Amino acid sequence: MKKFCPSKIIVVFFLLFSFFLLPQKSYSEEKTFDANQAYQDFLYNYNLYRQSYSEYMIAKESYLKYQTLTSKNEALQKTSQMLKNQDEVVKTYLTALRLKLMEASGNAGYEQNTLYTKIDNEITWYKNHQENLNSAGTIEDLIALASKGGNEYKETEILIYQTLGAILNGKENVFYGKINQNIKTLKEKIGEIRTKGDKNTSLSERWLLEAENRLTRSQEKQLFAQNLLTQIKTNDSNKLKSYNEAQFTIQESHQYLKEANSYLKEVIKELKSAD
Amino acid sequence: MPIEVNSVEINPDQDFENLPSVAEKFANKPKIAKKSLIVFVSIFGIFLLSLLALVIFLSFNQKNVNPPAENKPTPTPTMEIKEEITTPSLYATDAAILKTEEEIKNLDQELQNADLKETNLNPPNLDWQIEFEK
Repeated sequence: MKKFCPSKIIVVFFLLFSFFLLPQKSYSEEKTFDANQAYQDFLYNYNLYRQSYSEYMIAKESYLKYQTLTSKNEALQKTSQMLKNQDEVVKTYLTALRLKLMEASGNAGYEQNTLYTKIDNEITWYKNHQENLNSAGTIEDLIALASKGGNEYKETEILIYQTLGAILNGKENVFYGKINQNIKTLKEKIGEIRTKGDKNTSLSERWLLEAENRLTRSQEKQLFAQNLLTQIKTNDSNKLKSYNEAQFTIQESHQYLKEANSYLKEVIKELKSAD
Repeated sequence: MPIEVNSVEINPDQDFENLPSVAEKFANKPKIAKKSLIVFVSIFGIFLLSLLALVIFLSFNQKNVNPPAENKPTPTPTMEIKEEITTPSLYATDAAILKTEEEIKNLDQELQNADLKETNLNPPNLDWQIEFEK
């Protein structure tokens, strides 16, 4: 007959209790990877890069000063690490942009898909660049690889600004769609009222026309902003300036959307007031 | 014949050298204690399984209770003059008009709060110029 040991059974149950409950806490905290998490990932890697950049600068100064083999190896190692971290920063930043673009709906499918493909290709390029850094044996190899990275980044910058522009335009397109829908609804309603003949709709129709005009002007500004971004060239010394101009134009477009919406408020007020 | 010493019964014939071991003593415990333990363990097991099921259920329904803080510019306060409709028309209470009015109001708020700079997405500052010359 087996010996009955209650203390062992109690210990087993407590272990089971801990096993099932503690991991549940981490399971419940598990979230899908979204734009915010991608952005936190980018910030983390950017911080790592800045730390490794400081270490690279110290190692470089030390090597230039002492010219010993030890200082050279240290400089080689720190430079390699800094460049790898730099590639990681670009990869995580592009990933965050990609996810942010997905969230900012309102872009035409083909435009968005084109940007996704370009972003994915760039991420692959920097991943390969990181792998090439592993096989760099000398400081000269690292200098050459860094130069390659720098040249590629000139193209990447264009893609970055075009994606940022697409994110802002995506937001504007959502607002545009909503205002346009409200205009259609009010147009139908005004048509019904005009047919019934129990209220003068001329003022409401004028406000509605003003709203439509503002909507058209908003779209024109958006298109202009898009053109500014497509005209950015690889060798432009100040790509940020072009992006800022595009951003300012999008803000002007947004102002028109606000005006269009305020005209719709006037239409409602007019319809609700007696003649 | 047992002798009473300080009201404790001592059997003079008892063999004090060959006392039963703890295991033997425990083996002779009444069956009721064993049954109580089994009952306790069963109840505890059921409780544990119920708790596990509850945790799994809650984790599936859990929403993001700590949304990430967004950097939004403080909206400029504007004085809203509410113009009251003094003489309402036939359509003042029309359902379609009221619904559209609500949508326009909500959209107005969204337009005011829209972030059109996304400064947190500015590209990082990187240095691709590596040189080892004094």
